[in-house]
Amino acid sequence: MAAQAHSAQQSAALLELRNIQKWFGGVHALRGIDLTLQPGEAYHLLGENGCGKSTVIKIMSGAHAPTSGEIVLGGETFSSLTPIQSLAAGIETVYQDLSLLPNLTVAENVALNEQLVDANGRLARLFDRKRLKETAERALATAGLPTGRAFLNTIVSDLPLAARQLVAIARAIATRAKLVIMDEPTTSLTRREVDNLIRVVERLRSENVAVLFVTHKLDECYRIGGHAVVFRDGQCVAQGPIANYSKKQLAELMTGRSIDAQRYRTGRPSDTELLRVERLAADGVREMSFSVRKGEILGITGLADSGRNELAMALTGVAPATGGTVMLDGRAVSVRSPGEAIAQGIGYVPEDRLAEGLFLDKSIFENKIALIVSRLANALGVVDREEGRRIAARLSEEMRLNTRDLDLPVGALSGGNQQRVLIGRWLSIAPKLLVLHGPTVGVDVGSKDTIYRVIQALAEAGMGLVIVSDDLPELLQNADRILVMNGGRAVAEMDAEQATEDQLYKAMLATTTETVQ
Amino acid sequence: MSASRTDELHGAALPSRSFSFGDLVRRRPETITFLLLVAICVGVAIANPAFLQPSTLIDIGRASVVMGLFALGVFIILAAGGIDVSFTAIAAFTMYSMTVLVQSYLPGLPIVVVILMATLGGAALGIINGLLVHHLKVPSLIVTIGTQYLFRGFLLSFIGTVWIMSLPPQMGAFGRMPLVQFEAANGALITLPFYFLVLPVAAFVTWWILNRTLMGRAIFAVGGNADIASRLGYSLRTVHVFLFGYAGALAGLAGIIHVCANRQANPFDLVGTEINVIAAVVLGGARITGGTGTVLGTLLGVLLIVVLNSVLVMVGIPSTWQRLVVGSFILLAAAFFVTRQRKK
Repeated sequence: MAAQAHSAQQSAALLELRNIQKWFGGVHALRGIDLTLQPGEAYHLLGENGCGKSTVIKIMSGAHAPTSGEIVLGGETFSSLTPIQSLAAGIETVYQDLSLLPNLTVAENVALNEQLVDANGRLARLFDRKRLKETAERALATAGLPTGRAFLNTIVSDLPLAARQLVAIARAIATRAKLVIMDEPTTSLTRREVDNLIRVVERLRSENVAVLFVTHKLDECYRIGGHAVVFRDGQCVAQGPIANYSKKQLAELMTGRSIDAQRYRTGRPSDTELLRVERLAADGVREMSFSVRKGEILGITGLADSGRNELAMALTGVAPATGGTVMLDGRAVSVRSPGEAIAQGIGYVPEDRLAEGLFLDKSIFENKIALIVSRLANALGVVDREEGRRIAARLSEEMRLNTRDLDLPVGALSGGNQQRVLIGRWLSIAPKLLVLHGPTVGVDVGSKDTIYRVIQALAEAGMGLVIVSDDLPELLQNADRILVMNGGRAVAEMDAEQATEDQLYKAMLATTTETVQ
Repeated sequence: MSASRTDELHGAALPSRSFSFGDLVRRRPETITFLLLVAICVGVAIANPAFLQPSTLIDIGRASVVMGLFALGVFIILAAGGIDVSFTAIAAFTMYSMTVLVQSYLPGLPIVVVILMATLGGAALGIINGLLVHHLKVPSLIVTIGTQYLFRGFLLSFIGTVWIMSLPPQMGAFGRMPLVQFEAANGALITLPFYFLVLPVAAFVTWWILNRTLMGRAIFAVGGNADIASRLGYSLRTVHVFLFGYAGALAGLAGIIHVCANRQANPFDLVGTEINVIAAVVLGGARITGGTGTVLGTLLGVLLIVVLNSVLVMVGIPSTWQRLVVGSFILLAAAFFVTRQRKK
């Protein structure tokens, strides 16, 4: 396939970017990007957060105009595209946030854009409900979704996340797409759902549609195959068949430094028990018992419906447990709310940092001290901002935050940096136990490295850590022990140093009725 | 594997097929408005059968027109995630300016032209709102608070502050023109004025735009999430200009009907009743955060407020209690909608 694409290099390209430059104010986001996309080929756009990946796909989809450079599309040269031009040329984007309109129906989300593009963006047009239904049915069937009237008329905000992901993909293939761009499409999907996505991609390619992935998950890139395009600091540093590069090479190309894929775990847990959970029950969790020692890192994994998420939320009071006991330092504690959990010394870094964890439009400084505001306040309730700033500055340094400006709103930071702010915030109250839920979801290689080092340093200092994650290499690299959950129970416990990904994956699926390919 | 996924989703979609009351309320919150309205009407009719007289019903219909037109404008902006508080100032501006224009300069202007000019004038002022909202990128609440003061200030400073008690004849005649007229049992002549027709027509046009045109879908798309809508190719500028222009046109129309119906033009009138209208729209099931609601719900909300305002007196509740009752209804309905949403 790759060789074929090479020989076709001279034939009509689908899309060509020539020396694209992009400035955002004083920031030089893209420094001369040259990129040619051929029909029917798969591309993997790789790079750290903030390297310009998102900017380049926004230029392709017409959301941003380049500062200079040319875009060649269907033989025509443009200096910039509008969303309608891009869509009319068959460029469909599945954004990381899915870009679904939550208040509209599935059918409208999937098929309305076809009519908008046909009307060339003009809105003074009748809208054809029959055509909407037909297009939606066709696209949903292709994406493996139901096509009944009830599903067509379901409001998107009523759907579970995985179904929304498929609806977003159905929209991308509803029209005669020539290029489908997917921005981190697998972040919120389980392994099984990823398999489904990969089949959709193969179908698209067999119909001569090009697919451009933006992703951090290298394993998936190798499974899909095709071309790797590596960005670093707004420049394209490597391009070629992905099979020609090893994981280590790609990681080095992305970060510009050599990244160690070895085990991060260096320390040893102490013998003192910190946490003991007995027969904990919650919605989706059935009588879990386990313990964590001081300075120990316990990994917990399982499929999306295994109860691992519910366990994390029950431990931290986000969704309180319905039964069982939690002992911390030998004392039974009650965690009925996040506030109680914090008071007992249990910290929680949630999975969805955007929705649950951060005040996006507040500054780094304000986010950092959010948990200790009451401690900083004097008798009159006036907050000592100077002391707060000193603490925030110290924490930022510990987290190796990529910015000096504590007053930047957190929303302006890249995913990796946001996660560092969130973890840094917990350091401010120095909890006894820190529960991390998917600590590196949507985080680039370089930030992962930093976060792992911080996790190890925390364990070293005697904190107990629980990492709930479906990123198996992450658990193998960082934890002492790994619990595998299935159907709300722990079905296996493994020593992380000896376990393999394969063993873990088998345990995750062991007792479920579904078939594994 | 894909079979199990499909089953799962079929299962998720199933509940919407069986019709439970909770589900109906979640999908069509105006059901609550309707039930509340029926309950009040039944209650009042039992307490005081005079309520069911044709004259009462016609009074209610007549009183709904101006508020209904305003509410349609507020609803369409709310559907797109915005809010407008300047519509009363637009109405006051166009009604008073048109009255002055006809009385002092163009006494022979036919009433159709007067109404058309008021509507277009309202649209022009609305478009100013739309352009400001779009280009300043300031929340529409702030923009329209500003323009409410501007429009009203301009009216009172440059056009006049005199209360016009005798309208130009063609405007007065329009206000009196009957649609239906009959004699009541006690011999009084009861009239449903011709201008009442404007409300159902405007409601139908609004419904048609929202449900049968791409513009209508674009309005809801923007109300769902403006950033995403623009990424998908909807032109926010077109939507904003149309929305506020359309709401302005409705406000201009409402203003001129208000003058004709009351047979006087008071430049201090109307401004201050915005909250009442917004309350009606919210009681009709539209979410204040935008993206939801129906024309039918909006009309029911208006009817609910108008009925409350006119019938409390009939059952012996002092009119000062209106606000207490309307306030409690808003809180009750809002609490109900929210709990229903959470329950799903």
